[in-house]
Amino acid sequence: MAVASLSRALRSLCLTQGVSRPAQLPFQAARLPAQGAPPSCSPTLVLSRGFLTTIPVAQNRTLWKQRTKYTVRPIGMKKTGGRDYTGKIRTHGIGGGHKQRYRMVDFQRLKFEPGKEEHSFEEKVIEVRYDPCRTADIALVAGGNRKRWIIATENMEAGDLIKTSNHIGRMAVAANEGDSYPLGALPVGTLVNNLEVYPGQGAKYIRAAGTCGVLLRKVNGTAIVQLPSKRQVQVLETCMVTVGRVSNVDHNKRIIGKAGRNRWLGIRPSSGKWKRKGGWAGRKIKPLPPMKSFVNRPSLARAS
Amino acid sequence: MFYRMGTIRPCSLSLVRSAERCGRVSQDPAAARRCFSVARCLRARPPTHKKKPRSVVEIPGLEPITYAERMHFVPGLAKPTFPPWQRGWHDPRHAVWPKYEEMEPQRERPCYVFHQRTAVLEGMRQALWLTKAVVKQGLPPQVLSLAEEAANQIENQDERVLHAIQHSRFWDSTEKKPSRERFCPVLLRDLLHLCGTLQVKYPALGKRMLAEKYSLSTCWTRGGDLFQVRGQNGLLLNSAFPIPVVAGREEVLSSQDQALETFYPISPTIDLQVTNVYWEKTDTGFREGYPYPHAHTLFILESGDAPKLREHQVCAKMIMFAFGNALARAHTLYGTEPRVLDQPVVVQSVATNGRTFSFIVFQLNTTDLDSDTGVKNLVWLDADQPLYEYAKIRPLIKKKVVQVPAGVAGYQPETFKKFLALYLHGVL
Repeated sequence: MAVASLSRALRSLCLTQGVSRPAQLPFQAARLPAQGAPPSCSPTLVLSRGFLTTIPVAQNRTLWKQRTKYTVRPIGMKKTGGRDYTGKIRTHGIGGGHKQRYRMVDFQRLKFEPGKEEHSFEEKVIEVRYDPCRTADIALVAGGNRKRWIIATENMEAGDLIKTSNHIGRMAVAANEGDSYPLGALPVGTLVNNLEVYPGQGAKYIRAAGTCGVLLRKVNGTAIVQLPSKRQVQVLETCMVTVGRVSNVDHNKRIIGKAGRNRWLGIRPSSGKWKRKGGWAGRKIKPLPPMKSFVNRPSLARAS
Repeated sequence: MFYRMGTIRPCSLSLVRSAERCGRVSQDPAAARRCFSVARCLRARPPTHKKKPRSVVEIPGLEPITYAERMHFVPGLAKPTFPPWQRGWHDPRHAVWPKYEEMEPQRERPCYVFHQRTAVLEGMRQALWLTKAVVKQGLPPQVLSLAEEAANQIENQDERVLHAIQHSRFWDSTEKKPSRERFCPVLLRDLLHLCGTLQVKYPALGKRMLAEKYSLSTCWTRGGDLFQVRGQNGLLLNSAFPIPVVAGREEVLSSQDQALETFYPISPTIDLQVTNVYWEKTDTGFREGYPYPHAHTLFILESGDAPKLREHQVCAKMIMFAFGNALARAHTLYGTEPRVLDQPVVVQSVATNGRTFSFIVFQLNTTDLDSDTGVKNLVWLDADQPLYEYAKIRPLIKKKVVQVPAGVAGYQPETFKKFLALYLHGVL
């Protein structure tokens, strides 16, 4: 970059001189300042003022997570310290902590093996373990020719068989915990987790430790689910969902014990400055937000 | 961009154009967006645009003028393109291999390869399914009777085995504590040397040869899929004579009724390497006419860079490679047509991690592996036998009480007797 802007500056000198001497070769322009051309007379020089001779290095490279192929092997993570790609602080209070490794969790539960597109398939749980990247535990499952990590449910153990199906029958199924079905196949009142918002997108809601949603009712090809925050969402009934409650139920009861343990987790102390309590403090009474609909249907006016 | 017409160079025209171009550069919108006063990271703005690759117009009959002869960048002149540089000699460290898609024997049918770095998920069950074998716990009675016989023992046997352990764990290196990669092969060599002293008593032991870094290649069909065992693996003790058949005809025929264990929903091909580029060849790793053609015992060590294997995965590795050796031998003897062998091939295998030993005797009864019915192969397994419990340089002291004294503790002579019996198997 520096060489380019230097050459542009010299080229602009060449232009001012070029009116009088058009036969001047471009690469001889380098000699021109020595011949005494005043640089301030050139208007094009102003733009190139103060060019740097160094190149900024990209901050916070995310090369470790740019991976297209799925793997169950843990990937070494780089700590960001709350900084974004330009190096500015995005989130305060992050930094340090124990080294962590990232395990690629497959949130898209309904993913058939290539060449085996049927109604359902089964997988076997190989191990359930802690994951540093999230509050819930994760489970390594194997079925057919592949292995993958999924979010573990409450009572999942090594050796369990879990089922995944995309079939919506006339009757509601009697589902076991850890199985995955479309919302339309489940009976009303089922506790669910790992909720998809759009069919085939992958689970977005109810993934934190110990949480679960309730399937409230099924209306006209859609299903209404109550989230852990008591908010209701309406999604298509083909959205996949896992039955049961997410693992690590006692996550909210653990005792941090000391300030240093938060540092192990990579959380830095908050500012000790005194702040006057404002509207954020105290009890708030406000109605629940209205039901959120993720169903895109053509409006009636357009249909008629 | 300037073009050259044949060999004539319109010099004056090009200079006029270059002057025009210099005037245009400063109004370039891309240049206006660039920040010269401070670096981009200080300005803290995302890069608003990506540099588009410049479109190069090719005019037939005209050749672009490049700055190749100037030997430096000149604005306005085209970037020269040179042919890729050739080293002129073959450097294996910088060898350029073809891409996987362009490699030569591309096949339609995928092949599942078991090699020395494979750690199969289901372990021994998977290996038994792949080799169509039935397992029997404990070593065969012939081998056990060899181990019990007092005539086969070496004089001062226990003392000399203890010396071998102490050599590998304490006396071998000047380090404080030799690593597992160091003491594991040393212990195995010492024990083999100890077994070799019996050659005075049994001269047939001289017809043996230990091969390191031999490479194996064999393939078979199982359940409609193609499988291979391939690559280097361990140390192979070859013999000039085959091992006598362990299980008789009735026992072999009785294996027809035994069912193979399956592990639904996991496929038996999980964790094997899938490839479409392979040769279907049978290679025992030795040339034809090698005077010691019969694989006798395969010694597998816990190697340093390979993935850490669990106990059942080590058993799987032993079974697979013993099976591979036997199958390669059977293919060279009887051809690759699947059939029930009249004279079964027996190969033994020993795996060690420097403390515990696992023993396997594999008898290949059939090469008809495609279906689950019919005669099965036989495996005798004696896994995870410790040769000693502890080898401590300093005693383990807890609460001022010596828990484990320094030196070798918990020596078990039975393990070496089995080792010796496998070594002597086929000589008497």
